[in-house]
Amino acid sequence: MSATESPSVAAGKAAAGAGPERGPARRPVAARRPRFSKAHMKEWAWGYAMIAPLFLGLSLFYLWPIVQSAYFSFTSWGVFGGRQWVGLKNYSSFMSDPQLPRAAWNTVKYSLIVLVGIPLSIVFAALMNQVSGKYASLYRILYFIPVVTMPAAVAMIWRWLYNGDYGLINYLLSLIGIHGPHWVSDDRYTVWAMGLVGIWSSLGYNMIIFAAGLKNIPRQYYEASSLDGAGRVRQFFSITLPLLSPSIFFVSVLSVIGGLQMFDMVLLMLGKANPALAGSKTIAYLFYEDAFVTGNQGLAAAIAVVLTLVLLVLTALQFRLQKRWVHYG
Amino acid sequence: MFRKVLVLAVGGALALAATGCSSSKSASAGKAETGPVTLTYGIWDPKQKPAMQEIADAFHASHPNITINIQLTPNADYWTKLQTAAASGTAPDVFWMSTTRIGLYAGQKQLLSLSDKPGFDNSPFPKSLNDVYTLDGKQYGMPKDFDTVGLWYNKKLFDAAGVKYPTAAWTWQDVISAAQKLNDPGKGVWGIASPDWTQENLYNTMLQAGGQAITPDHKKSGFDDPKSLAGLQYALDFVTKYHVSPTAQQMTDTQPDQLFASGKVAMFADGDYDMPEYKAAAGLDADVAPLPAGPDGKKGTVINGLANVIYAKTKHAQAAWEFVKYLGTKDANEVQAKTGTVIPAYNGLSATWVASTPQYHLQSFIDQLDVAVPYPVSKNTAAWTTPMQTTLDQIWGGKLDLQTGAKQIADQMNASLAKE
Amino acid sequence: MGRTQRLWPVHVILVVGAAAMVAPFLWQLITSLQTTGETTSVPPHFLPSWQWSNYSQVFHDTKFAQQFLNSVLQTVVRVVAQVLFCSMAAYAFARLRFPGRNALFLVMLAVLMVPSQVYLLPQYQLVQNLGLLNTLSGVVLPGLFSAFGTFMLRQFFLSLPNEVEEAARLDGAGTFRIFWSVMLPLAKPGLISMGVLTVLWSWNDLLWPLVVVNDDAKMPLTVGLSTLQGEHLTEYPLLMAGSLLASLPMIVLFLAAQRRITEGIALTGTK
Repeated sequence: MSATESPSVAAGKAAAGAGPERGPARRPVAARRPRFSKAHMKEWAWGYAMIAPLFLGLSLFYLWPIVQSAYFSFTSWGVFGGRQWVGLKNYSSFMSDPQLPRAAWNTVKYSLIVLVGIPLSIVFAALMNQVSGKYASLYRILYFIPVVTMPAAVAMIWRWLYNGDYGLINYLLSLIGIHGPHWVSDDRYTVWAMGLVGIWSSLGYNMIIFAAGLKNIPRQYYEASSLDGAGRVRQFFSITLPLLSPSIFFVSVLSVIGGLQMFDMVLLMLGKANPALAGSKTIAYLFYEDAFVTGNQGLAAAIAVVLTLVLLVLTALQFRLQKRWVHYG
Repeated sequence: MFRKVLVLAVGGALALAATGCSSSKSASAGKAETGPVTLTYGIWDPKQKPAMQEIADAFHASHPNITINIQLTPNADYWTKLQTAAASGTAPDVFWMSTTRIGLYAGQKQLLSLSDKPGFDNSPFPKSLNDVYTLDGKQYGMPKDFDTVGLWYNKKLFDAAGVKYPTAAWTWQDVISAAQKLNDPGKGVWGIASPDWTQENLYNTMLQAGGQAITPDHKKSGFDDPKSLAGLQYALDFVTKYHVSPTAQQMTDTQPDQLFASGKVAMFADGDYDMPEYKAAAGLDADVAPLPAGPDGKKGTVINGLANVIYAKTKHAQAAWEFVKYLGTKDANEVQAKTGTVIPAYNGLSATWVASTPQYHLQSFIDQLDVAVPYPVSKNTAAWTTPMQTTLDQIWGGKLDLQTGAKQIADQMNASLAKE
Repeated sequence: MGRTQRLWPVHVILVVGAAAMVAPFLWQLITSLQTTGETTSVPPHFLPSWQWSNYSQVFHDTKFAQQFLNSVLQTVVRVVAQVLFCSMAAYAFARLRFPGRNALFLVMLAVLMVPSQVYLLPQYQLVQNLGLLNTLSGVVLPGLFSAFGTFMLRQFFLSLPNEVEEAARLDGAGTFRIFWSVMLPLAKPGLISMGVLTVLWSWNDLLWPLVVVNDDAKMPLTVGLSTLQGEHLTEYPLLMAGSLLASLPMIVLFLAAQRRITEGIALTGTK
């Protein structure tokens, strides 16, 4: 859910946005000054001073914790406190955890389902760009409301909608003769149910990004190609998609990073006392469970490290692949 | 200019530090015990909060320098939050303890012993409750209440189906026949709700069949006893054989007590603690009877009882003891009884509780004390109840058959008990 | 015009999509006004029985007003701090030169690269060791600093023209003066966009306050709401009422600032 993005989702933004950008202002005058002039030193001092508060805070609360997590992953914690070094034991426990295969599959499945939301949001963005400004604003508002809603609220609403006997969704399905399953308490369907909510709550956000990307495509391409006799569909695949590919890449990197970290829906929509929970856990949920429910923080840290490595590999992979299909205009 | 920024930054940092420091300072200032003290009181049942608040207010009236701040954590999170808080030294000063966790918390020195405190008196409480909260000769918990389980039934549905109300003479067969008659899929009504909940359902059916969840010496599992198996089968049959109960999934989507309160199930074996919920349910015309007898005529219910305990690392040990002492008085227990919230542990007050809500035969809960068996616990109960519940979930969800599942529970339970 | 004629299928699809977006909230509203008995009826009651008491029960069962204030306080503190710290750092990274600038920037990017799970536990330990568990400071402290916010504002500063700065420098203005009186005002649209996104994130932040705060008087709304759910597992009318009340502030804010939010998101997306 985009409104609750973590900084690593933002990492995707940072990294994906590392395309051609304007460099820092060049000051021809300064380049000719001697290197250690008073003006230079003053600029240095200001530079450090202005990044200091942020950097101090980041170091204390983010950079040092990253190091600590790596350290914790090699330790084991007592029930009410105390720590001891156990080497790679946490990692081997995690790798041999019987819950892992299912959790990994659930995580992948969920991320794949959410990726389906991308073509959907492209279509809607394209449609929205066709209507006039005031309508577009109205649609944008309506499509974005799910994005700004609190995750617990979204989970509650959908849990109720998905209720097997009295929920609205199964009622609507019954009207067309389908007997809906127990979306939230049957672990054959829970990941699909969560995936649908994932698409629903990020559609508006992705739409805005795609709408901006679409607007950047020069009209001339379309005009030229229609003069050449290309139909709408042909235009879509030969012009729109390629020129939209930077945005598509950006959104897909975000979605993968977000999807791999999904756990709050498992916690809020399924609930801890749910028999379907065992078969619906994601990797990030295993982390949460070990860290704050079972109190096995060493193991949780190991999971966090593994998750980071997986994310880095996947993101690097996506960057590698982008050279093949992303066209920067 | 630079100075301005420096001042801003330092000021900001100081402000932050001040807010942080002040909160921890006020915590340690209470050591003197002469100034005003605020105690946190950890509980988990929202239905009991009004009664607890009433008791806290009454205590404050007699001890004006001590304020009680009730901290409610939902049941599903209570123990995990408590564990994290205890590990970090921030657990509530006084909190509810259950028979299932007393072994762990007392054993790991997370609680203050009460029996050596001035003015300690546990004579008004049943011996069984005092004993369960005593470890190595020291009592750590002030008994608060006790619960038994009864068969709640919906009078309106019984009348409509022409079925006689349950009585103390009922047996398993009576329940089965009644459930079958009351089951009405056309109206979306089930005969009975039979979830895989252990306190309300399975522990009791195992007892009624002549089995048990754990041996009285807490050393061996009772799940591989064929009689226990029969008890489990009886409960499972409602779902899988007679189809008169909602499925496990249906009961997850909508909890059985909810279903009962909205008139969707005709019978539900539930504790006395849900009585306030049923009392408040609009349009529910219900009553309660003792649990039925098993095939050998054996009756049984587990009895659980909560206690109030003091956190070992509390900064206000004296004030906390004053509060816990008050919680053990007749006045405090009477509040619980009068409001009909729960059955107080204090001897002689159960009649007050029964009289608090005359529209229900609450005496059913008291009458069953004769056949009550202490709640199945061991030194580290949670170590085997968590996997046990997961296996039960699988059985109830149709993923595992009962024989294999019960054996699995027994094996894993025995392994866990052996480690204690 | 032929063009408007051909637009109606577009509107139809968009309206259907919008309905799918909004219908769950309408259903939430309807359910919040029903009794538990009505919620378990098949077919569902589309016209509720107007149980406004559900809303008063939310206020009774939770310290809603207090939690609302907590959310507001936490958000205000975090947003102000982030805008201040991140804009300073972003300007320095974008416009000032000092040794190691690029290296430090990459280090900052590294923070963005790791999932939140990596620093969650140590942050918890740190806050615990500082004795700040269950306090407002403990909740806001890590959130005062944002690598993402810095990155976003740096992009923005980079896109501003040099000339204004040049002119100010020639006028003899010092570095901080230029930042405070010249660049910040210019950067207002970017600041507002970043500010609004931070407000959104902070208001809906759940996991961190969930593990840090136990006292329901100190919880923000997000945690209070999930606690409500834990207590009243399937009492849907009550849950719907609570979630509706909790979601309203952000929806109102969004309606008021939707243009800025849109710009902010587009800003991050197109570069």
